Formats: sequence, C-alpha cells, structure tokens
Amino acid sequence: MGVAAKVGIGCAGVLALVLPQFLNTFWISLLIQILVFGLLALSADLLIGHTGLFPLGHAALLAVAAYTTAILEVRHAIPTLLAAPAGVAVAVFFSLIFGVAVRTSGVYFILVTLAFGHIVWGVLLRWSSFTGGDNGVGNVPAPTFGPISFPTLSSYYYLALAVVVVCTAAYRVLVRSPFGLTLRGIRESESRMRALGYNVVAHKYAAFVVSGLFAGIAGVLYIYWNRFVSPATTTLVISAEATLMAIIGGTGTIFGPFIGSAIILVIRNYVSGFLVQWMTVMGLVFIATVLWAPDGLLGLARRYRARRARDATSPDMASLPKR
Amino acid sequence: MNWILQALNGISMGSLLFLLASGFTLTFGLARFINLAHGAFYLLGGYIGLSTLRATGNFWLALLAGGVSIVVVSYFCERHLFRRTRDNHLAQVLLTIGIVYVIADIALLVWGGNPLRIPPPAFARGPIDLPWGIVYPRYRFFLIVFGAIVAAVLWVIYTKTQLGAIVRAGVDDREMVDALGINVHRLFGLVFGLAAFLAGVSGVAGGAFLTLYPGAEWDVLVLALVVVIIGGLGSLGGAIVGSLIVGLIDAYGRWLFPEFSYFMVFGPMVILLLFRPTGLFGRET
Repeated sequence: MGVAAKVGIGCAGVLALVLPQFLNTFWISLLIQILVFGLLALSADLLIGHTGLFPLGHAALLAVAAYTTAILEVRHAIPTLLAAPAGVAVAVFFSLIFGVAVRTSGVYFILVTLAFGHIVWGVLLRWSSFTGGDNGVGNVPAPTFGPISFPTLSSYYYLALAVVVVCTAAYRVLVRSPFGLTLRGIRESESRMRALGYNVVAHKYAAFVVSGLFAGIAGVLYIYWNRFVSPATTTLVISAEATLMAIIGGTGTIFGPFIGSAIILVIRNYVSGFLVQWMTVMGLVFIATVLWAPDGLLGLARRYRARRARDATSPDMASLPKR
Repeated sequence: MNWILQALNGISMGSLLFLLASGFTLTFGLARFINLAHGAFYLLGGYIGLSTLRATGNFWLALLAGGVSIVVVSYFCERHLFRRTRDNHLAQVLLTIGIVYVIADIALLVWGGNPLRIPPPAFARGPIDLPWGIVYPRYRFFLIVFGAIVAAVLWVIYTKTQLGAIVRAGVDDREMVDALGINVHRLFGLVFGLAAFLAGVSGVAGGAFLTLYPGAEWDVLVLALVVVIIGGLGSLGGAIVGSLIVGLIDAYGRWLFPEFSYFMVFGPMVILLLFRPTGLFGRET
C-alpha cells in the first residue's frame, strides 16, 4: 500500500468520524445507507472479484436477515442481542440452501441466483399473513443492548460504522488468507485448481456462505437504520445495484464496493430530488459503466497510473497504439 | 372440473411464455448473449400495440406494430451496445438491466402507472362453452392456437430449412460457421430481429390477459428465464417443453397453494439443477 493510499484512508477515517457532527439528518442517513449497501456490495464482491461468480440475488439475503430481525423485535419483543444474530443466522441458513447454485457456472449461475432472489421476493409479497405482504414490517425499535441504546440517527451511525469497519477488517484477513488465494486460483483457472487437488465446488460453496454471512450483517444494519422493510428491498434491481456498486468501485478490492455504493446512492438520492426521470439516469449509469469503465474507477485509475509510469520509463513505448 | 380448467390456464400461459423464451434461448444459443431487456421489450411492445389499437381499432395491426417497433429498438441496441460486450456475460447482464431501467422509465412517463388491459379482438371476445359445463374465455384458446402455430413454424424452419441448419450449426460452433464463409453477423442480426419481433408480439398478446403495468417486465422475464433454465439454454425444443412445464406448474400452483406459487415454479428448477445443471436439453457452454 502506497503512502498516498495510507494518507487517503487516514483522511477518510477522520472524516467518517467527524463529519456527522456537521451534517443534517438527510446526509447522516445517506452515510449509513452507503455503509450498509457498501457492505452488501463487498459481500457480493467476494464472489465477483475473488471467485469469478456473478450473483444477482444478494438483495434476498439482505432481506431475509432484515425481516427476521424485524419480526422478532416487533412481534415477539426479542432484545437486539438475540434478534440481530438471529437475522444473520437466517441469512446464512438461506445461503446454505441457495449455495447449491455453485454447482452451475457462468450464465447459469447468474440466472439461478436471479431466480432465487425472485422466489424470496415472491414469498415475502404473497405470504402476507406472516410477512405483512406489500406493507412489510415497520416500527422496528432502536437497537438496545441492555442499558445502552442507539435511538438517534447519529448515534446509530457510529454503531453501523464500527460494525462495518470490523466486518471489513475480517473480510481483508479472509481474502488474504490461503482460502482467499484459493478462491482467486479458482477464478483464474478452475481446471488447474482441480488438477492441483483442490475441492473447487466446496470452496465455491464456502465462499457463497461467507458472502451470505456478510450480506446478513448488512441486512441487520439495514433494518435498524430504516426501521421498516418491505418486499421492495428484495427486488432484482437492488441485487443488480449491489453488483454494479462492486464493479464501479473496482472488483477484488476492499474500498471499491464502498466507493461504488457512495456513487450510486448519491446519484439516486440527489438526482431523484429534482428529476422525476431518475430511473433513466440510473440506467445510463449502468450502461456507461459497462461501456467505458468495465474495471471500475479504481481500475481506471490503475490503468492511468500504469500508462504514466510506462511513458516516464520508456518514451518510445508511448508511441505504440494503446488499448 | 377445476383440473381441466387449470390445465387450460397452464397451456395458454405456457403458450405466451414460449413466445418470449424461444427468442431468448435462440439469441443465447447463437450469439451467446443474455438479454435481460427481453421482458422490457415485451412490455414496450405491448404498450405500443395498445396505442396502435386505440388509434386504428385493428388487433392484427397492433400485433404487427408491437413486433416491428421492438425490432427497431432491438436493432439499435444490438448495433451500438450489445456488440461491445463481446462474450462477457456480466457486462451483458448489467448493460441490459440499464436498458430495462431506461425503457421502464419512458414507459411510465408515456403510459402511466396504472395497469392497462388490451381489449381482445372481436372474434376472441367472450366465453366459450365446453363439455362438462366448463365455461372458458375464448381469448385464451386463441392464445394457445397462436402459440402452437408460432412453435410449429419455428420448429419447421429450425429443423427442415437451410437457414435452420445454419442456425443450428452456429449454436454448435460459431467459429466454424464463420470460417465456412457464412456471414455470422447477418445471422446474429436475423436472430436478434426474430427474438425482438416475438417479444413485441407477445407483449400485445399477453397484455390482453395479464394486463400491462410497471414491473411486468421483470415478472414475465423471470418466468421466461425459468423456462430456459429448465429447458436448457439455446435449445428450441427445450423452450417448448419448458414453457409447457412452467405454465402448468404456475397454473396449478396458483390454484392449490396461492401463497407459495413462486416456490411451485422454482422448486422443480432447483431440483433439476442439482441433477442436470444444464437443463433438460441444454449442453455445456
């Protein structure tokens, strides 16, 4: 990690701690949202950037965690200390089932995860006696751990920030471990890893379940932020946005998904404030990313740096046609 | 008697799904392109057909207008956007989702957010009396016949003509067909055009009994995806069998377990994938 990157991360850390003191609730709420969906994008990126699988159903994992916690808190008055882990556990349970998708690859994996996401959406919508149907589950109380409570938006911001930082640190350890290296090996060449004696399917399955764990944590953070969850949280659009966030920021990185989350959510919240056709703007962002920044912004920056370094060291290379 | 009624519901739904899934599966088989905008094409075709119908009062003209307008849209997308994704499936998925956003937003602006029903043509209006005292909408029969005719025509072209042989060869080995001197790009254009035409037509045909509403683009797309996953991507026969299976399961599921009808459609898909990850008639891609 370069000095510039370290300084940048340090500045971002200080800003993340201090900034909420100077912002109104709209922006604090947006910051929490960026953290929550950044974590969801990060969880999807374990599959996209490291394993080479493209999931399109991660919103469903977020939603089942959010619904579980919400129903336990609202209908059964279960304390946060039990309700929150229960939400994560249910998300992991669902990813254990949905994990069968790793038996497929390529396009089939995309389509199967999309279909899984749609099943969850359909059940949440139709099984209204249990899930509240279109009305969802609301009035979720503030997270409370014994005497400590987080009733205000800014206090919850610090709780969410702490959880996301811990998760991101754990994620970083995970992707740098031999397990993470094996996943990247599978991404590069599945057949070679199989020939080397690795159980490819088992590793993909484990990656899917770990990804589901992080998505579940994002779901619990989501419900205590929004205090309300409805089937709209489960739609394909949210899943696709999580994937797009990871790609815009740059796949296979730690901060990329959060940068992507910030870009997408700022565009959506800001543009929808004054333009009714914000969906069109979002669609154009999708299209532009695929056409002009398929490696994301961090990828663009890396390419730019590589080109400058190359131009500086060997001037005659600069005259060659560039890709 | 309900069993027979639900069977008819299932077959007519399957008929509609076939119109959508056949184009989707052939585009994938030949051009290796995942077009998630297929559902948005369906919806836009339906809306344009509805406007045509209101202006002219002719159902056949509406079908044609829905189909042709989507061919134009699809041609533009294929020429300027789809080609640039090459064989990167994730890029295709995100690109076409972006197109869905744009189309859905324009449709919302022009046709509003309320469900709109396309009035069926005069000859298919009203109920029909069947033996055992079953009364059934005439339009659904029209849809079954229409779907069967399209399936038969596609099947004959696919298996009996030279064009069909070229397409089948292209599905098997695109590079080889290219090397043999056949213009693969023209072939792609033709299949994309056919798929778009069928999507637009199915929007008009489906709009008469499912109604057109914002969000319909995903509802029909996901069912069509299940059809191609069960049938196998790139297989026309798979699309026929798959759409009948999905249509029937959907109809019986809605009737027997209304709250879990989605499970009824997706459950068999998951079980099938465990044993045959490439679907009934699919091959390794």
